[in-house]
Amino acid sequence: MKKILLLLFVLSLSFSGCEKDDICDGNTLTTPRMVITFYDINNPSVEKSVTNLSIFADGKENAVPYSGNTLINGSTVSIPLKVDANVSKFHFILNYGSTNTALVNEDILTLNYKPENIFVSRACGFKTNFTLDAFVPFVHTDAATPDLKWIQYIAVEKYSIANENETHLKIYF
Amino acid sequence: MKHTLKYIFSSCLILSLFFANAQNTKAPTAKPVKDTVSTGIIPEKAAVATKATVTSKTAVAAKTDATAKKDSVPPVIKTNRYGVRVGVDLFKLSRSFYDKDYKGIELVGDYRWDKKHYIAAEVGNENKTTDDERLNFTTKGSYLKVGFDYNGYENWLDMENIISIGLRYGFSTFNQQLNNYKIYNTNPYFGEVPPIASGQKFNGLTASWIEVVAGMKAKMFNNVFVGFSIRLNRLMTNKQPDNFENLYIPGFNRTYNGSFGVGFNYTVTYFVPIFKKKVVPVEKKKTEKK
Repeated sequence: MKKILLLLFVLSLSFSGCEKDDICDGNTLTTPRMVITFYDINNPSVEKSVTNLSIFADGKENAVPYSGNTLINGSTVSIPLKVDANVSKFHFILNYGSTNTALVNEDILTLNYKPENIFVSRACGFKTNFTLDAFVPFVHTDAATPDLKWIQYIAVEKYSIANENETHLKIYF
Repeated sequence: MKHTLKYIFSSCLILSLFFANAQNTKAPTAKPVKDTVSTGIIPEKAAVATKATVTSKTAVAAKTDATAKKDSVPPVIKTNRYGVRVGVDLFKLSRSFYDKDYKGIELVGDYRWDKKHYIAAEVGNENKTTDDERLNFTTKGSYLKVGFDYNGYENWLDMENIISIGLRYGFSTFNQQLNNYKIYNTNPYFGEVPPIASGQKFNGLTASWIEVVAGMKAKMFNNVFVGFSIRLNRLMTNKQPDNFENLYIPGFNRTYNGSFGVGFNYTVTYFVPIFKKKVVPVEKKKTEKK
């Protein structure tokens, strides 16, 4: 009897060992990126693909990867925002790396927002959702060495950035 | 989560095997005691047996004859002691010494209501800091569990062991403090953000639950019992904080995605006898025949 009790005690100790096996499920909605869709300025209801667009955050050497590629050729792109700041500044460079320097054009987009940390689960911890500033959601400027703006018009589609299934920002060019 | 549960269930199965074992091994050790005490009865039994083999038709008559004779032999009178058992959970107590993130105590008690039923209660206080991969939080609070145990173990003579199954209603009042947390970001373009210190406190949290308890208690010496129990909990109510969750509830232990939880304790208790009840002879005969 005593031996069995001792054995049970040892077994019970092993219970306390299994606590940290939770893994954050990949399908869980965690920190979202901002989804940008590009439209044709001449035909605003039609999406238009960019060519070799590279997006650099201010002060970063490497461009934002999208679908594993830093050169974006498509009508939509998602960019991560800084979770621990109110402002993220990006350089949108069209025809990045092109030998024909006349085609390369850089615009600067500064996004103003409010981050909010939201509890997800034990395994995932927290996520950060963003709300674009209601008054000045973005500031659009030309590059440091002016080369005329390639972006013609920007419209905020969704101020609240909580998932990646919808467009938050529309860029017309 | 699923893996943990799987392990817990398999462990429970293993444990249940041990319960069965405990009963099996108990019998042979107990038999000699019985034999020495009730030596006067054995020859009569033998006589009954021989009678029965010789004339199977009159076996029933012979048995009644034998029992009548037994009644005339008075030496062994089985008494059940009734009283209060109080003690402490050794696991929580010892963990307080070796785990710097844990301080807790649980007092346990039961009162023998009738031959097989005990009114049981546990009261405790816990202060636990959980350090998970992405979260670090401290839970402080007290709990009370009240219910009953049913002793399914048939004791020999004056043994007082218990193999029981029971139910409890548990209630806990506690607070949580989120110490720090990490942001989960699948696109770490700006690099992983270091853990964010929070210190946010969530007060006035409560939870209640139902526990199914499987346990055993063995008398070690005199009135000292050593016991073990495992518990399967199901949350009934849970007052959650805003923008956080009750990931640990004092008394209930860790919560999972569903409303189930597990627990156990390892107790040392002292039995305070209050009164005795003699076992009615009729009942004694029945138990002896088995």
